[in-house]
Amino acid sequence: MDPAAPKPKENMGEPLPRVDAQLKVTGQAHYPADLPTANIAYGALATSSIARGKVTKLHLDEARAVPGLLDIVTYGAMDQVEKPKFGNSGATSIGPLHDRTIFHDGQIIALAVAETFEAAEEAAQLIRAEYEEDKPTAGFDSPGTKTVPAAGKSPLFKEDVKAGDFDAAYAAAAVKIDQRYSTPTQHHNPIELFSTTAFWQGDQLVVNEPSQNVTGWKVELARQLKIDPAKVRIVSPFIGGAFGSKGPMTPRTAIVAVAAKRLGRPVRCVTSRMQAFGTQTYRAETRHRIRIGAGKDGRITAFAHEGWEVTSRPDLYVVGGTSATGRMYDYGSVLTHVSLVQADRNTPGYMRSPPETPYVYALENAMDEMAVALGMDPVEFRRINEPKTEPIGKRPFSSRSLIQCYDQAAEAFGWAKRDAKVGAMRDGDWLVGMGCATAIYPTAVAPCAARVRLTADGDVRVQCGSHEIGTGVRTVAGQMASERLGVSIEKISVEMGDSSLPPAPVSGGSISTASVCSAVLKACDAIRTKLYAAATGEGGPLPGSRNEELDLADGKIVAKGGASAKVEGLFKAMQVGAIEEYVEFAPKGATPQALKKLYAGTPEFHGGEQDEDSVKYAFGAEFVEVRINRYTREIRVPRIVGAFAAGRIMNTRTARSQLMGGMIWGIGQALHEATEVDRRYARYVNRDLQDYLVPVNADIKDLQVILVPEVDHAVNPAGVKGLGELGNVGTAAAVASAVYHATGKRIRDLPIRIEQLLA
Amino acid sequence: MRPFVYEQPTAISAAVAIASRFTTHDDQPTRANAQFIAGGTNLADYMKLGVAEPNRLLDLNQLKEQELRQIRVTEDGIRFGALVRMGEAADHREVKQRYPVIADSLRLAASGQIRNMASLAGNVLQRTRCEYFRETSWHCNKRVPGSGCAAMEGFNRQHAVLGASDACIATYHGDFAQALIALDAVIHAEGSRGARKIPFAKLHRQPGDTPHIETDLAADEIITAIEVPAIPWARRSLYLKIRDRESYAFALASAAVALDLEGDSVREARIALGGVATVPWRAKEGEEALRGKRLDEASASAAADAAFAGAEPRRHNAFKIDLGKRTLVRALLETRDMKV
Amino acid sequence: MSQPPPNNALSRRKFMAGTVSAAAAAPLLASRAKAETPIGAQPKLRQPVVTSLRINKQAYELSLDTRTSLLDALRDHIGLTGTKKGCDHGQCGACTVLVDGKRVLSCLSFAVMNDGKEVTTIEGLSSPDGKLHPMQQAFIDHDGFQCGYCTPGQIMSAIGCVNEGHAGSEDDIREYMSGNICRCAAYPNIVAAVLQARGETRGA
Repeated sequence: MDPAAPKPKENMGEPLPRVDAQLKVTGQAHYPADLPTANIAYGALATSSIARGKVTKLHLDEARAVPGLLDIVTYGAMDQVEKPKFGNSGATSIGPLHDRTIFHDGQIIALAVAETFEAAEEAAQLIRAEYEEDKPTAGFDSPGTKTVPAAGKSPLFKEDVKAGDFDAAYAAAAVKIDQRYSTPTQHHNPIELFSTTAFWQGDQLVVNEPSQNVTGWKVELARQLKIDPAKVRIVSPFIGGAFGSKGPMTPRTAIVAVAAKRLGRPVRCVTSRMQAFGTQTYRAETRHRIRIGAGKDGRITAFAHEGWEVTSRPDLYVVGGTSATGRMYDYGSVLTHVSLVQADRNTPGYMRSPPETPYVYALENAMDEMAVALGMDPVEFRRINEPKTEPIGKRPFSSRSLIQCYDQAAEAFGWAKRDAKVGAMRDGDWLVGMGCATAIYPTAVAPCAARVRLTADGDVRVQCGSHEIGTGVRTVAGQMASERLGVSIEKISVEMGDSSLPPAPVSGGSISTASVCSAVLKACDAIRTKLYAAATGEGGPLPGSRNEELDLADGKIVAKGGASAKVEGLFKAMQVGAIEEYVEFAPKGATPQALKKLYAGTPEFHGGEQDEDSVKYAFGAEFVEVRINRYTREIRVPRIVGAFAAGRIMNTRTARSQLMGGMIWGIGQALHEATEVDRRYARYVNRDLQDYLVPVNADIKDLQVILVPEVDHAVNPAGVKGLGELGNVGTAAAVASAVYHATGKRIRDLPIRIEQLLA
Repeated sequence: MRPFVYEQPTAISAAVAIASRFTTHDDQPTRANAQFIAGGTNLADYMKLGVAEPNRLLDLNQLKEQELRQIRVTEDGIRFGALVRMGEAADHREVKQRYPVIADSLRLAASGQIRNMASLAGNVLQRTRCEYFRETSWHCNKRVPGSGCAAMEGFNRQHAVLGASDACIATYHGDFAQALIALDAVIHAEGSRGARKIPFAKLHRQPGDTPHIETDLAADEIITAIEVPAIPWARRSLYLKIRDRESYAFALASAAVALDLEGDSVREARIALGGVATVPWRAKEGEEALRGKRLDEASASAAADAAFAGAEPRRHNAFKIDLGKRTLVRALLETRDMKV
Repeated sequence: MSQPPPNNALSRRKFMAGTVSAAAAAPLLASRAKAETPIGAQPKLRQPVVTSLRINKQAYELSLDTRTSLLDALRDHIGLTGTKKGCDHGQCGACTVLVDGKRVLSCLSFAVMNDGKEVTTIEGLSSPDGKLHPMQQAFIDHDGFQCGYCTPGQIMSAIGCVNEGHAGSEDDIREYMSGNICRCAAYPNIVAAVLQARGETRGA
């Protein structure tokens, strides 16, 4: 069997190859900067070399003298444009060219536009700024930070969850730990560079830019440019990796649109990888203090999680992972608090499992420490503390298959063969360690619109303004239509990535498959209803049958008794060539404004811990083996097994690939990824792929993904839990656990590097 | 990037003539208006970043002298033409057999694509990857003499603990050079003042007060060949490279080791250290410490201590002293245990 | 000062006065006319250089800024956007193409340095009837990508890797494919794809 195409188990769809696979392997998949655009001019950014202060003077003469230079967009050029807004679709409230104030390193100070890419780059490099420089604050431990409570600062983080009397329970606990953990600054670094191509057709603006949120951007860009959103179109047919980085629109988009307007011709600006570190968002560094108290039997009685997150001066970006960590186990009592620490940095943004990656890392590393303190097997420790209801609001989990995940992953990994004694396992000069951790990710869903058309010939077109960032959403949306309309996948085309399509929510929060498939399902069922009516109505071939007794398969409507009617014939009878349905899906619990907000680009999220009836999460368990050389202490992960349960799996191939990619991300977070900040200047140091290390092929050897069957009808009509952000949660803690097992060293600060294991 | 004139000389003499016409004798090759390009993997990168700003590139790939593209194995040793690509040398059967340390150092460097592009001479001349050097908005004495060194008190995890000065702590990141310096290689160069041989150990200059002076070459001088003497016992040699990830990363520490053993004891050892020094680094103190000794963990450790006796740590790179020693110990023991 | 080099020491580099629109680049027949360097002429700064490339078996003559990378020449001057820019500094492998059969990074190669060379890009792999190269098919079969952005570079690199003789074992493939970063991290699937296609690729 091909591991890439796992055989579907219960409640799992076929491992169909991606519908866009052929385009991707032939170079015909057009990412936004590939879209042919005539008469294009090239833009290149100039960015600040200080993190705090003011631009007092810009020297543009040398840049202007570059042959082929067309324009320099800088201070003044944006005066007629609204400043960006932070939140929803906007990455930051900083309007870099609205104001000569510098808020962070690498802030845009000008855009040079020229006839050629080479001339634009040359000119941008020749732009020199004079600054009035203030001493910047880099982050934690730097003088000048401002710390504020996070609760209530973001609609996604309303409160510091708590339950019971933590202080008393912790004081009384027989076994306890009190430890601090940290995670570093990280940048998404999708391989596709960030780019904006803008052109005006009369008063209509088209922007080709990789985006996870074309509807939100359309509305926000129109607001900034003070034009009707109907005049703005965002086009993003393929996205070359996103991971959150292409969710919020950055100030560059409006700047390039203005440049295109000034010149009266299309302008393309591809941001260099170095510049992306300052002009895009990132995962800010976090710190954690965790206290756990338990009885000698291993039952947790007290859990406290305090978190600190860095953000920018103007924008209070919160991840607040205590919402999940506070509900993970049967704690007894819970105390949490999250603080934001403001510094002279660009505004952070969401990056693959934004709250869970840092917070669950801290929790799971602490859980492993606690298991050690209790002298207990870490899997057993989690089993003992498996909750019946979540500890904060005492609501049930809509489904929770964590223990099944642990059991199946442990079995596949061979956990039983692990010698629990620290340092006991060796292979020649290599110390071997094994560890595990829990993965969790909230299951959310958002309103979504879709249009589906079925023709008499059996061709299907699915249109939805969602985004193919590599998740396979185009494929699974097609699969849903295939299943509901009884048409083979080859007959289905799926259009996405364009704000002129029916609106879909931002492709973030792992909501896309659930939201899009629920909308496509609804549209297909509306088509079914019309066909059924034609089949069962007066003069129809299946008179008297009730809709519940009918099914649509292989171009036929099949009744309970086996009688069938060809769909083609029904089209003839109806005297139509196609049936097209435009639907709006709104999840259970949606407010009356939910659909309006979808069109406004500010969709409501439902699910997770927000619903009254139950809390909704996907779970997984990951096991890793590490090897550490006894002399040189380099750390490698030759083996990793993850088992995950995430409701209905639409396509076992794309699901496995996403989880696999997540697990490898987790390895990167454990061992490699960190953006280093020069504390003196609040500037990023290692801003390219030479020095910002991510895993390469040789880092990954034996990797196994187990899809654990799970049925959950409560989450959404499609029964789908998102899993794009599940795989990289917990991995780093599993690695830390394995490193401890191999060496006896408990590493609490990520990434785990060679220097921490020397001596 | 600054614009440049592109020329393709077809003979070494012509290349030298053009270069000397557009450079002066005082010009540093890395700062001259006219510069040579072969693979371009280092120079094109630095031109894009504005670190290198030649206004004239002399492409050496059309030079007609065929020996520039040949690897010749003779009784005297091995001679690599300057334009031989890293990948070709890494895969060369006799290089692998006779000088495993050379083949390893090439194989473990960069990526398959870069090894197909990069010439051997260009590789040994690659410039530091110090982040503060690469990005022109930082102060850097190597890039702009006298402007200061942002790395010294900055984030200096990858920086050098050996051969640094108050002006510069940038690491020399190359791997191949460590094998060459260990094996007493010789560089053949040709310039307007004629042809000469340069012992490999004299090719690179420690930063001292003039970190912008990186090599002993003149701006109009072309490396034509790299010669490695015949060392029969170099079959017992290897290159050990320790890095944060398994591949496609620079060394945190590396060791090129060749051993001439008589039974268990060391007749002669060759040691070079990568990832830890400002230039290719021959550790003669370490070699001396092993001479005549039985090679075991204790003697290897003593040699490593000797090799790093002069190391100076900075805030983030102090671990490299310990790691460098461990790397050398492991490399020595693994070399000892090689089946040759 | 030394003397100017003798003209015969320069190769038949072709300089053209004035600008030739790069957008007008068109496939040319083999018997195309070449602009020759006038005797005694010295190339000038910012003067476009005419460069001949054979790309996917098609001849092109381009008038280029000397600074134009092979990558940008392919993408912006010829319209072959299958080759991707992921870092522009030789750190990711997304721009990998074959030049005279060897895999190289087109972002680190000035286009003018490839004069007269044979370049193969992702667009040149499938046969004229649309049949995929075995490596392309293997990437589909094993889901060797997610977002697909690094994929053209991965496939070109995989073909180069096999032809270099470095696909002998899974470990070899992992090591020799490490110059191609896949941020979606499809690595195990990429290895499986190379294993599947290596036999047919050698013959292809």
